[in-house]
Amino acid sequence: MAIQEVRVQTVPYLEDIKGKYLLHEIKDTLHINSITGLVTAKVYRLEGISAHQAEFLARRLLAEEVFQNYTVNEPIIKDAGKLVEVAYKPGVMNPEAGSILKAAADLGITEMVAADSSYEYGFYGNLTDTDTELILTRLLVNETVEKVVTEKPATLIIKGQPGGIRVIPIRNMDDAALLKLSKDNLFLNLEEMQAIQNYYINQDRDPTDCEIETLAQTWSEHCGHKTFKATVLLDGKAKKPLYQRLWESTNQAAHPLVLSAFEDDSGVMHFYDGLALCGKVETHNSPSAIEPYGGAMTGSGGVFRDIMGTGTGAKVIASTDMFCFAPPDLPDDEVPPGCLHPHYLLRRVVDGVRDYGNRMGIPTNNGSVHFHRDFRAKPSVIVGAYGLIPAADAGKRRPVSGDLAVAIGGRTGRDGIHGATFSSGEMTSRTMDVNASAVQIGHAIEEKRMSDALLRAREEKLIRAITDCGAGGFASAFGEMGEDTGVRIYLDRAPLKYQGLAPWEIWVSESQERMGLAVPPEHIERLAAICREHNVEVTVIGEFTGTGNLELFYHDELVGELTMEFLHHGLPRRVMAAVPREHQVQLIEPDYPRDWEQACMQVMQHLNVCSKEPILRMYDHGVQGSSALPPFAGVAGNAPNDAVIIAPVPGQKYGAVIAHGLNPVLNAIDSYAGSIWAATEAVANAVASGANPDELMLIDNFIWPYPDEASMYDLDRAVDACVDFVQATGMPFISGKDSLSSTYRAQDGSVLKIPPVLCISCFGRVADVTQTVSTDFKRPGSVIALVGHREVQQMGGSSYFDITDAASPQVPVIAPDRLITTLRCLYQANHSGKVLACHDISEGGLLAALTEMCLGGGMGASIEVPAGERADYYLFNETAGCFLVELDELTQAGELFKDMPYIILGSTTAEPNISVTQDNNILFNIATAKLFTAWQKTMQEVFGGC
Amino acid sequence: MLNTSQAKPRVCILRTDGTNCDQETAYAFNKTGGESRLVHVNQLRSGAEKLSDYQILAVPGGFSYGDDIHSGKVLSVELASFLNDQLCRFVDDGKLVLGICNGFQVLVRTGLLPWGELGTIQATLMENDSGHFECRWTNLLVEQNNCVFTQGLAGNEVQYQAAHGEGKFYTDEVTIEKIEHSGQVVFRYASTTTGQPTQDYPQNPNGSLHAIAGICDKTGRVLGLMPHPERFVEAFHHPNWRRVSLGEPHGLPLFRNAVAYAAQTGAGC
Repeated sequence: MAIQEVRVQTVPYLEDIKGKYLLHEIKDTLHINSITGLVTAKVYRLEGISAHQAEFLARRLLAEEVFQNYTVNEPIIKDAGKLVEVAYKPGVMNPEAGSILKAAADLGITEMVAADSSYEYGFYGNLTDTDTELILTRLLVNETVEKVVTEKPATLIIKGQPGGIRVIPIRNMDDAALLKLSKDNLFLNLEEMQAIQNYYINQDRDPTDCEIETLAQTWSEHCGHKTFKATVLLDGKAKKPLYQRLWESTNQAAHPLVLSAFEDDSGVMHFYDGLALCGKVETHNSPSAIEPYGGAMTGSGGVFRDIMGTGTGAKVIASTDMFCFAPPDLPDDEVPPGCLHPHYLLRRVVDGVRDYGNRMGIPTNNGSVHFHRDFRAKPSVIVGAYGLIPAADAGKRRPVSGDLAVAIGGRTGRDGIHGATFSSGEMTSRTMDVNASAVQIGHAIEEKRMSDALLRAREEKLIRAITDCGAGGFASAFGEMGEDTGVRIYLDRAPLKYQGLAPWEIWVSESQERMGLAVPPEHIERLAAICREHNVEVTVIGEFTGTGNLELFYHDELVGELTMEFLHHGLPRRVMAAVPREHQVQLIEPDYPRDWEQACMQVMQHLNVCSKEPILRMYDHGVQGSSALPPFAGVAGNAPNDAVIIAPVPGQKYGAVIAHGLNPVLNAIDSYAGSIWAATEAVANAVASGANPDELMLIDNFIWPYPDEASMYDLDRAVDACVDFVQATGMPFISGKDSLSSTYRAQDGSVLKIPPVLCISCFGRVADVTQTVSTDFKRPGSVIALVGHREVQQMGGSSYFDITDAASPQVPVIAPDRLITTLRCLYQANHSGKVLACHDISEGGLLAALTEMCLGGGMGASIEVPAGERADYYLFNETAGCFLVELDELTQAGELFKDMPYIILGSTTAEPNISVTQDNNILFNIATAKLFTAWQKTMQEVFGGC
Repeated sequence: MLNTSQAKPRVCILRTDGTNCDQETAYAFNKTGGESRLVHVNQLRSGAEKLSDYQILAVPGGFSYGDDIHSGKVLSVELASFLNDQLCRFVDDGKLVLGICNGFQVLVRTGLLPWGELGTIQATLMENDSGHFECRWTNLLVEQNNCVFTQGLAGNEVQYQAAHGEGKFYTDEVTIEKIEHSGQVVFRYASTTTGQPTQDYPQNPNGSLHAIAGICDKTGRVLGLMPHPERFVEAFHHPNWRRVSLGEPHGLPLFRNAVAYAAQTGAGC
């Protein structure tokens, strides 16, 4: 059928904003200065309608005369030196296509059968072919999902014949053949492949592709958490599996607010008024490494669905994002083959989180970005979500025999196939080519309307059980839900995006925005009616049986059958050896600073210290009207708070607090101390803001290199740190996730281990949000106290040592038992109303915290470093769990903190300077404006001003 | 006085795929004496719900249909195609229409603003000058005019959070002069230091012409604005409630005026 083309562009007398910023980016990041102008146009392709109809749509729908021109079937950028069009590849879902079809139909044009949209870029000036290539590969085209359009496509419709069922002759395979089968697709080891082989020898038949794929994804590291369930062998002694240690510590803590830990799609705690709060944090490192925009989007979408899949369905009330990248100014030649430049990754990941969270109407209000050169092969992209649910609807639900197996939400396509197994593998220079199909673009609106419909269905008690179709797709969702009962699925009934999918592809596709439900048959009609009203597709694709088997049918043919027993319990438990690596960081101490101003500025502009405000400004952090402590505030709105506090129930003063901590640099030097630091930082952020440490829950995310013996040792130490932290503080972990593929293997066989990341998130309840505390200094003349214990010579891993090329094996060591006493005391102080401002100390140390408090208050501070202390260490030590506190009067400090380690540092001043003295000598007196500028400019250079 | 639930003006909070500020907008109306109901556009199309049963129509913020093609465009086309008569009658009956953020974009793209001519687009909300989505608190100067929603607020500065990627109000010179001349500008982005309208980023977060943040129609009964009054209806919603006293939350008067007007006129019910 004919395709009509409509091109739309901004009228020439108005600025082409898209073109303007792209040109800036080309100049700033690629240093190509030969382009004199850049204009953009949007291209719509509409199949099945006449040119006349296209003209009508251009006028009424696609272009707005007030500021745009259009052409039909004619070029619109006519005089550019070079014209390039970039579109999504066929099969990558363009979320806009559905809207074009809908709006055209609303305007009475129902003949359209397909639509697509893309962008054209017209370059003016002298652009060499090399420059063009660089612009395309670095900025405009991610070949994983996009392509340059060189000719008008003949059709937009994807056709295809579904492949048949393949039987894999596994019984006759030798070990080499088994490993070959595993490589690139299954990522199982030989022992696991042999277990599968033995099962089929006993069954006296060979497996179908559906069965092999089911096993591969259920047994993948991503879904099966084999390392965390493995016995750990250390010094010849067996230690309990990591996962067991974590949940045993949670059980022992017996925290009265825990409602559901480690069993459901998220962890759940009691809130107020019969409500519960839930939290889940996920990683999406591998997809984000090869297609950052889509990877970050689908990461957000997935973690939101974890909340939506908790109990019988929760409402998502907040979103968080924590990233680790290589420095954005990394030289091009240091980016490993097959990897994308960190500058591009950072910007595109932020775009992805922005576009998904904003469109879902979920405030993204807590996050951080960390930088280290060793993330150059693969970033860590961590996304969290928090939700609200009636406590009675929380808790893991199981289907009952006779319930219908129901798919809801988006359609199934070929996208995202092998995501679960892909995430479990190492990244190599071939990853970009081989695993492109594992990445897709998210469709936030699909998920938003599904969420709207599901919350209605939950209120009407229509849902027995619900889970996300995340990694492993239907196979994971229904395979897991049917574990106790058995389940029969008719794969041909699943709605498809396009024809041509083989049965196994339907089964393991990870197309986004889908969830699996167990619905009692008597409720299906009502559920369907709710879905119709919300423009959501819902389909019965099978039923929960009582056979204890997984049965897969395709057009009445049995294409797969596995016992749930083997699927879920046939995986051999691994034994993982842990051996400490030989690594000694030598102590190299920096010279005492000769130029204090320069030292302070360098610390403030350090990537791990600097303001991340430009990122936050692009996230809608105020939607849902729940904000009670925003991420940034203060006189000019640009000073950071420690945690975020929201009041998610309109009209109620009780709230939820959300915070987190991570420090890959410390984890790399000392896994145990770095892990304690992360947990401390998370809860210190929450308590500094006014939260009660006895009402906080924890979530772990381990992002670790592939667990060879040395990494396994560090992982073991990190888990021990978590357990010790729980035992000392009573704060339990109630949810967690591990991703153990932070290893890059180059073509020459060399290996790059990405720094281990333990991200600890914390959330809790706050009885009254109006009794919480912000970080901005409130008035001049107040007392500034430092509360908490620290050994300032523990400078290892600090930003200060980084800028001075110093190093130390001595990282901050925090004693959790002492910490909890400090936190409880600080909570009482905050609760008393006598604390005017409070800020925890983290990256950048005391000086960074003080500067941020001054920025928020629009004032300065005058402090004294105690005699005998090395002043630079005193100011830049990064021990977590220490706080700067602003008090009205001197006497209050003794009264509030009498049994705690605390010291009066000085006072706030009206003059906007930070002045530091020691032994009656002025060490320095710097205008705060200089420090702010240094602190703000680093990210402004990456993202533009804010 | 609103003593009984029957006396409460009914507010239709219009929802569709991608609407996301509906619940807080409903709460703001309820808190000021209205009775809100979330109504999906499909319910209006099917006849299950009728606009005539309501005295106030609010089109809340969000990303209706993903803001595909243009922000608010697909919903505008749907309203103009299927609910044209109901909408015209609603406005002609003297009832109130409020569009916030995406809702403002929808009102402009249906033609309800500025001239109340459905199907005629005379102005637009373009991509922000900064080239990206912006979420920040803005200081707004309230203009003196006949806008029902801002009675008693003229000359005040109010602070609302803005959160949008396409909020630059733009139209041709003739239209802008006409809008100004007929006193239809309701809110302008204003400097926090001078209190005067500003084109300076970021206090004017999008580069709007004449610093326009919100306009009404000639009757003063149809209002559209980019920033979010419903995000400041509790004292603790403001980012700096701990350091400055701002009096009554700035969003409340806007909703209260609307509810009071609807209660007094009792239009159509």
